[in-house]
Amino acid sequence: MTLEQKQDNMQELVTEIARALVDAPDAVQVDAVERDESTVLRLRVAPTDVGKVIGKQGRTARSMRTILGAVSMKHHHRYTLDILEENNSHGQEHSE
Amino acid sequence: MPIDDHAGSAQKLASFLKMLISTGGLRLKFRITAGAGAADPDGLEAREIYIELSGPDVPLLTQRGGELLRALEHVAAKVIRLENEEHDKLSLDAGNFKALRAQEIRLAAETAAEKVRHNGQPFSFAPMSSRERRMLHLAFREYQDLETSSSGEGMRRFVVVYPKGKRPSALRDR
Repeated sequence: MTLEQKQDNMQELVTEIARALVDAPDAVQVDAVERDESTVLRLRVAPTDVGKVIGKQGRTARSMRTILGAVSMKHHHRYTLDILEENNSHGQEHSE
Repeated sequence: MPIDDHAGSAQKLASFLKMLISTGGLRLKFRITAGAGAADPDGLEAREIYIELSGPDVPLLTQRGGELLRALEHVAAKVIRLENEEHDKLSLDAGNFKALRAQEIRLAAETAAEKVRHNGQPFSFAPMSSRERRMLHLAFREYQDLETSSSGEGMRRFVVVYPKGKRPSALRDR
């Protein structure tokens, strides 16, 4: 797989996981942003679904990151997940 | 409240895991059991749906204290819309991880019981997930002279065991 294919693959993975978690799957959007050594996947969901992808005490977000981390290892490339809050085009990152 | 639609939930979980395994390029297979057949023979887990994962990538799931297995378990529970306090109804397992962990927990309970009986002082366990804390509480049921409770918040919540009737005053009531 080329890096590009892997990236599409990871984008799809995050999209599909998020779609399974939210009430408005059509609003799920994932962009990939290249950084030096890693790819940042930026997840956007409907404002009412933000809590669903973050979870109580950030547990759902942390679980998604663990899954992403495991697949990253198989791809030998680092992917990180940012969850963007709507109404904030600068993309405030969710942190735990 | 039990899961009302076992077949529907199992179906959702199957398509979710299929997607995850193929998109993630994981070398895993799974088997889902729902309803009465899913019950834990040891009675330690309150599961109604049981998913066993197998294949060459099982070590990926069970390493680091089963971090990935737990992450999948949490996300899978959310996929079928279980509330946090209902998560015990779904259990994911790989390479007999749950049974081995249950055995470890029983041994830890035995060791702690001896200690508390010997010196009369409360013993605090390391932080654990809610389902492991539940196993620990259950393990102490056979020690009539000891009591347990949980303390701490969220990820740092842990079990304390102490002589019956001697609940440490530092433990807040909750």
